[in-house]
Amino acid sequence: MIFDSDWLTEYLDDAPDLDTLAERLTDCGCLVELRERGDGAEKWDVEVTTNRPDAMNHRGLAREAAVATGGTLLPLEFELEENDEDAAELAAVEIADGAACSRYVARVIRGVTVRESPEWMTRRLLNCGVRPINVVVDATNYVLLELGQPLHAFDLEKVRGRRIIVRPAVDGEKLTTLDGEERELDPSMLMIADGEGVVALAGIMGGADSEIGNDTTDVLLESAHFDALSVRRTARRLGMHTEASHRFERGTDPEMAAVACDRAAALIAELAGGRVCRGRIDVCPQPWQARRMEFSIAALSAFTGLEIPAERVLEILTGLEFAPQIDGDVVRVRVPSYRVDIDRIPDLYEEVIRHVGYGPIPSELPILPTSPGRRNPNWELIDRARDAAVSAGLVELMTWSFIDPETDELVATQPLCPGPSLPLDNPLAQTQAVMRRSLLPGLLVAANANFNKGQRSLAVFEQGRVFSLVDQRPLERERIAVLLADEAGGREERFDRLKGIVNDMAVRIGLPAVSWKRGGSPWLDEGAGAELQTADGATIGLAGILSRELAERWDLRHEVAVAELDIERATEPPLSKFRPLHRHPPVVVDVTIEHAADLSYADLEGAVGDLASEWVEDLSLTGRYRDENSLSGAVRTTLRLVYRHADRSLTQEEVNEAHERLRRGLVERLGVALA
Amino acid sequence: MGTTRLDKVRADFLTDLEQAGDDAEAVEKVRIKFAGRRSGLLLDLTAALRELPKEEKRDYGRALNELKTLINTKLAEVKVQANAATVATEPSSVDVTLPGTPVPRGAQHPVHIVRRRIEEIFLRMGYDVEAGPEAEDDWHNFEALNIPPDHPARDDQDTFYLPGGFLLRTHTSPVQARVMESRKPPIRIIVPGRVYRRDSDLRHSPMFHQIEGLLVDEGITFGNLKATLETFLHALFSDDVEVRLRPGYFPFTEPSAEVDISCIFCDRKGCGVCSGSGWIEILGSGMVDPRVFEAVGVDSERYTGFAFGLGLDRIAMLVYGIPDLRQLFAGDQRLTRQFA
Repeated sequence: MIFDSDWLTEYLDDAPDLDTLAERLTDCGCLVELRERGDGAEKWDVEVTTNRPDAMNHRGLAREAAVATGGTLLPLEFELEENDEDAAELAAVEIADGAACSRYVARVIRGVTVRESPEWMTRRLLNCGVRPINVVVDATNYVLLELGQPLHAFDLEKVRGRRIIVRPAVDGEKLTTLDGEERELDPSMLMIADGEGVVALAGIMGGADSEIGNDTTDVLLESAHFDALSVRRTARRLGMHTEASHRFERGTDPEMAAVACDRAAALIAELAGGRVCRGRIDVCPQPWQARRMEFSIAALSAFTGLEIPAERVLEILTGLEFAPQIDGDVVRVRVPSYRVDIDRIPDLYEEVIRHVGYGPIPSELPILPTSPGRRNPNWELIDRARDAAVSAGLVELMTWSFIDPETDELVATQPLCPGPSLPLDNPLAQTQAVMRRSLLPGLLVAANANFNKGQRSLAVFEQGRVFSLVDQRPLERERIAVLLADEAGGREERFDRLKGIVNDMAVRIGLPAVSWKRGGSPWLDEGAGAELQTADGATIGLAGILSRELAERWDLRHEVAVAELDIERATEPPLSKFRPLHRHPPVVVDVTIEHAADLSYADLEGAVGDLASEWVEDLSLTGRYRDENSLSGAVRTTLRLVYRHADRSLTQEEVNEAHERLRRGLVERLGVALA
Repeated sequence: MGTTRLDKVRADFLTDLEQAGDDAEAVEKVRIKFAGRRSGLLLDLTAALRELPKEEKRDYGRALNELKTLINTKLAEVKVQANAATVATEPSSVDVTLPGTPVPRGAQHPVHIVRRRIEEIFLRMGYDVEAGPEAEDDWHNFEALNIPPDHPARDDQDTFYLPGGFLLRTHTSPVQARVMESRKPPIRIIVPGRVYRRDSDLRHSPMFHQIEGLLVDEGITFGNLKATLETFLHALFSDDVEVRLRPGYFPFTEPSAEVDISCIFCDRKGCGVCSGSGWIEILGSGMVDPRVFEAVGVDSERYTGFAFGLGLDRIAMLVYGIPDLRQLFAGDQRLTRQFA
């Protein structure tokens, strides 16, 4: 809220200089965020927290300032002259809903001249960011900024039947508010009505029909206490937020209604030349009752970790008007009507500590058992995945958890799709309207952006959660996704590289033996896509070259290889066990097999594994050559076998014999030729 | 008799050659002594052949040939070795200023680097690192934390709602509630994680990251909170930073404290980062409100505790000097590569 520094210090006896004042206010919890030159004073933007509506006005903040600077808050002084005309004869007030309106105070001022406000008043209003309108309305706004009590001035002539009824709206009722908007009302909303219909939204805004105009002579002044929740719900439903609703929602001072009404009436009479009629109309279905609390100074000191002398405690609480009384170690207080935030003992501790200051409290580390900290397994898992990707040379990206529904539709065709999508009820934008079910769309958007910025080579990953709605509940799963792109190199190389990275990551993450099955949904190129499965056949990932159709959808200028893994089936990789180092030399033999293109490497390797002698300790692919000229599209695959015996050296003859058996076996089983 | 002499010459040669070692001059002397064209010993020995009786000539001749071959071979070997040595020490020159083969290096996102640094600090102090759902229920995100429906504090945390009464958590605090519901004090945890608020401008992103701390035990004081935060901030930034606590407001703590550090860029002189104030607001904290304890079934008479929370993205921006929050989520690989 914006304060006028001159207005603020007006209530202080021996106010310090403004620098000191700003500093002290900040120290006690009212952060002076910004100081600017205003008209005749400084304008201060002070962050008054939501729980302190009592300080959202000049007098309230001055009370804090007085305690914070060791000064005195001067009493509020004004003179109210009443004439002999009885206000109760001129207007009546009735409250139909005492829960929503605990008190309604009204005064009548007759014979006003609606004109411009004097310069001193408009200056203060403008410094606080309030636009002056006319002297009557300005007086109510002035009192709001001064005392925190929202007021409303009706043109008494336009209050039909000269009656005010506080009641819920009736279905179908409408009201055109001061801002010119027509509002549709319902019975959940509290209204101010006159003898014939609705004239104001209680605690939010007045109606246009009973507005103060240039020809107004008689004013009915409203100063009420409305229930915070009732005002808040109505304001929310109507999408409104006003100076009045802001304060009522946070809680106004129930005892201030009468004082503020008098104050405003006196101002209007003084500045608009009217006469204040005798007596307040004061309807109060729920009189305010003071809350009494007590606490022990020893407990306060133990809680704080600082010995605070009783005198200091009393001084602070007296300044804040808690009327403290001490009895031994026990302090008894009466919570002021404006302190709606105080109802528990720590609330009182805070009042004392924030004025003592947090600075003097001695720092002392807590003493707890020396047990070491442990990380939740989920963090261990996702950081293991993150580290695996980083050690594979990938760079981490972070993209939005929400994506556009159209893209989300496409994810339904992924073998990894976690179920129905999880939409947001109130997205910020249509492009962020549904929670992601896959990490790939985010990476593809990022790939496009990176290419557009001139990046030619990408090796990136993202780790994060995907979401779905299963059995009416959100379901979250941890994923990791990879994207590779490079101008150079063909698709086979790209796929090879992806597979090398994904397999290495899977091992490091602790995913059970992953097998690659041709497939992988419309997301991947038919000829270069795979589903990744565990030994028990569960699909835990997809990997391959992104389909041309999707590459076009994201306008990607380079071919990309992508993979996504569901990492929640991973288990922590076991500790490595030592294997004895070999003492006998290996015999290394290559075998080149010529076969049809449709014999997969997995099948070939499987057959070799089955047929090879028990001495073969390692089998690897050393070369693959496709004869483009041969009609059969024959492929030559060279495998390297390492023969070794644990306890003795093998002779060349033994190995030759074993190898020859393998060659014959392969020809027999697979019908392949050996080169 | 003749072959005995040959044996001696052979032994002398091998000894001399060995003694000459790598010394090219000494080797040359050995060569001259044994195979010199004018006065080498081999000349003498060849001449001696003529004087021998016929029956000895054959054996002597063969032995002499072997000796000649040996001497010439050995001398040639030494020469080859010398040449080889010369070749090895003479560099085929390498431009040592060439850049070298780049090693492909992965990199973590700066937010995660910062998160792990902070986790490390608290793990050393015995805190557990906890996790919880990002799609939360209203109870854990708000009500258990003393933010009932229609509470004005909900205005400060604009919320994304999901079907079925769920929502995207607006802070990591719901995990506090979950842990206290399931575990008895002493509790000492931190909770990093992704959070969401329905807010987007230069300083706000609808998705960001927080880290939350909670400590609950008997006799925990405000002084304990203060010391813990100071210790943490000194470990994260430097022992030189000043830490300032000032009163603040959070619905789930009472009393509450906003925590500032002295500006790490200008050393409190005032600069653009601290908007001239010399202080940077870094985290929010306070003593756990007894209402929160009651909501999650912790005995509020017996236990006290403190909680704190800070924005990871903001810390990453501060530590690395990243000017725009939204750059963190733009997916530009050049950002992360800087932190490899």
